Amino acid sequence: MSEQTANISDPPAQNYREQRHHEVRKTRIVMVDGNIAVNSRTVEGGASARVFDRGYWGFASAPGSRIDIEGLSSKAAVNASAMSRFGARSILNVPAGSYRGEHRFAGKELMSAAECMELLEALHAYCREKYPQLQSSTFILHDEDHSKHLENSFGSDVTNAIQRAACYIFLTAEAADGRPVELFESISGKGSLADLQLSVDRLAPQIESLYQHLQAKRQAVPAQGGEQTIVLSPELAGMLAHEAMGHPCEADIVLGGAVTANLVGQSVGSDKITMVDYAHSYGGSEVLVPVYADDEGTPARDAVLIQDGVLTEFMNSRETAAETSAVPTGNARGYGYSDEPLVRMRNTAILPGTDKLDDIIAEVEHGYYLVKTGNGQADSTTEFMFGIDLGYEIRDGKLGAAIADTTVSGTAINMLKTVDAVSDDMHWTCSGYCGKKQPMIVSMGGPALRGKAHLGGE
Amino acid sequence: MNNLQATAEGALAMMLEQGFTEAQVGASRAEQDEVYIGHNQASMLRSTEEQKLALSGIIDGRRASTELSDFDKEGIAAAVEGLYADALLAPSDEANAVSSAESLDYVDGPQERNLDLLTDKVAELLEFRESQTPLITMDEGGASHRRTESRILTSGGTNISTRVGSYSLLAFGTATEGDQSSSLAYAGGSCRNLDSHATSYFGIDEMLRTTERQIHTRPIEDKFQGEVVLEPSAVSDLLSWLITQLSDMQLLSGSSVFQSSVGELIAADLLSVSSRFDGPGLAPVTGDGFVAKPVNLVERGCLQTLLPSLYGSRKTGIEHCPSGAGWQVAAGATARNELCAGLDRGAWVGRLSMGRPAANGDFSGVIKGSFEIVDGQLGDALAEVMISGNMADMLRNIVAVSAETIDTGSEDLPWLRIAGLNFS
Repeated sequence: MSEQTANISDPPAQNYREQRHHEVRKTRIVMVDGNIAVNSRTVEGGASARVFDRGYWGFASAPGSRIDIEGLSSKAAVNASAMSRFGARSILNVPAGSYRGEHRFAGKELMSAAECMELLEALHAYCREKYPQLQSSTFILHDEDHSKHLENSFGSDVTNAIQRAACYIFLTAEAADGRPVELFESISGKGSLADLQLSVDRLAPQIESLYQHLQAKRQAVPAQGGEQTIVLSPELAGMLAHEAMGHPCEADIVLGGAVTANLVGQSVGSDKITMVDYAHSYGGSEVLVPVYADDEGTPARDAVLIQDGVLTEFMNSRETAAETSAVPTGNARGYGYSDEPLVRMRNTAILPGTDKLDDIIAEVEHGYYLVKTGNGQADSTTEFMFGIDLGYEIRDGKLGAAIADTTVSGTAINMLKTVDAVSDDMHWTCSGYCGKKQPMIVSMGGPALRGKAHLGGE
Repeated sequence: MNNLQATAEGALAMMLEQGFTEAQVGASRAEQDEVYIGHNQASMLRSTEEQKLALSGIIDGRRASTELSDFDKEGIAAAVEGLYADALLAPSDEANAVSSAESLDYVDGPQERNLDLLTDKVAELLEFRESQTPLITMDEGGASHRRTESRILTSGGTNISTRVGSYSLLAFGTATEGDQSSSLAYAGGSCRNLDSHATSYFGIDEMLRTTERQIHTRPIEDKFQGEVVLEPSAVSDLLSWLITQLSDMQLLSGSSVFQSSVGELIAADLLSVSSRFDGPGLAPVTGDGFVAKPVNLVERGCLQTLLPSLYGSRKTGIEHCPSGAGWQVAAGATARNELCAGLDRGAWVGRLSMGRPAANGDFSGVIKGSFEIVDGQLGDALAEVMISGNMADMLRNIVAVSAETIDTGSEDLPWLRIAGLNFS
């Protein structure tokens, strides 16, 4: 990390220009039952220019590394000018603020192709020998490295790297009725696969845990549908933070009619709930997806979305900050060189409390402990859902039978008000993508929570 | 775009010279212009160019792939060298192969952008919203033109050339009144021309009007078993699950619920599914270098074929089926407004918000853009209502198929009435 400077005192402006070079390198290797189904390395790079002129945006992008960036900028200006056929727009003063700095993660040297293949073959051999009852095993190694350089008319000059890696383990077994049952585990982190320090010895406990959960799931019972007392594992609380209240707190979604628009200053959760979208640091350490300045060159700051149950502010871009008279947060991010920056989350988390997970479960007479999720979706109403791949019944304070795959849903504002216990754990993850016109790398974190929500089932 | 063929030929020659015994090269370039709507106003004109060179090489059964966006000779040479090193490290698998002697020169759709047309269509979307559905905030939307040119060459003599142009429209938003909001709703797709009013495409008109009726919703208080009428966007989820079950990853792991079902009834005899590889915006080509062939996937409920790639086929012994990307479900005989007739209790479902179905097809999800149905009549808009069931059972429990369909380019789908869902 080089020396950096942030300036947030310049006056707003009615015109704005930015230029971004952006390269994405990915490695993806998929082994299904010992067969390499995918063995791919990709490099996608290019540049974009964006111009804000008299209320309209013009954007242009081109691929490759030898790009006439000034020509691209001119094309973006022509595009912005062409929009005047829709008539004059009210003048918007885009907030200034600039950042100069360079940020790269100093990780380990990349795993070689040979090391990746050796690891996958060892994992397959280990599972085949130790768990012969498995119907199938799939291992996926995924590396993704974004390198961006941005300059804008406010004087920002930022080099930012986002680098993350993930290893996915899928195990499939046969249930008592002969139908397949599947579970997966993801191990993700900042940097490359080498920084995850993957090895059979290190992954063996996680594979054993996954296998034992899979055995329990072979005898799964259906969840009881309807409103239930649920305990969300820390892994799921991060998903709740992201889906349930994260998306409805993105200022473009707010301007699009989300119900959160009129709730700033009002209670949207129990006083045990504090939720923050972190820019680059949490608890004195750099987060998994550090954003020091966003793709508009705005100095990034933490956005405190909910403080002690009260909705406090939204995440924004320069334009939505202007439209909502807010202080910019630095949440404008574009996934690839041909993507314009949109308001996106960075590292969204519900903060830990003081309760112990064991106690939280022990106090439940009848409910469900929800452990793993595959995906989730949000809505402008704060109605959320996420799939539950692994969960257990809670009976008289003790974990019971595994439950079949189900879905948990609810309205976040109602659900968060029912939260009566928050554990002292904190689990961060950065596997998968957030989808909103473009994909995006984000991280999410949280403690275990207890509350009430709707479960799909009989 | 004249250098695509030369780039592909040059890359293929480099790969063979490097020592690959088999090789495939895909070179493509795309240009897109999009007039974009943000929050009820035209907000941006976006012009993008993309290019990609996809290389896949095999040596002694060992395979590796790479993609790059720089087409300079030195960069390609370095990529080929790296690819060769990666392939040598992969385990040998005799199922790896490339296509041979496939040939196609395909041109479809509008090849030139018409910016005036795009702005006209955006103006129509905005004018309709303002005059007909003022409670809608069109959060995103717009009109775009895309032109993609590609070449696929293999060491087996495959030579495929495609040039595909298409227009697209999108409307995405929420209806609000006071402090109440509807769920997010959207409609859009691709087509070859934009001769008609923008809202007449892809069900945009109906989506906007219907969403205004979904601001004030209520939950269902009890649990019951009932029926659903799925709109085409929800049918798309069901179709997507079916296609996944018939494709490589499920077949290779042996976990497809239809692994041994070819020739068997897997759905009600009202359901027929066929490929739509030449739909608007689609190139009739597979990723592994084959010209897509017409495929009758399900005929009156009977599964006709599985959908392995060349690799999947050689690995599993299942007959290879190059199907391409698009699909259509055949229209039925029931008028859409008759689908509710005789339905005791259930819901009209705009889309499904759900997790990935379980490996056995079990699923549960929230029904969005939905209305209650009681005694054959559409009732109140619903919120926080979940349905659960099994995807394979849903295919078998189709009780009516609409005569009308919505064509979004890659999919042409009717409304389906399906029994046997649990509501909670």
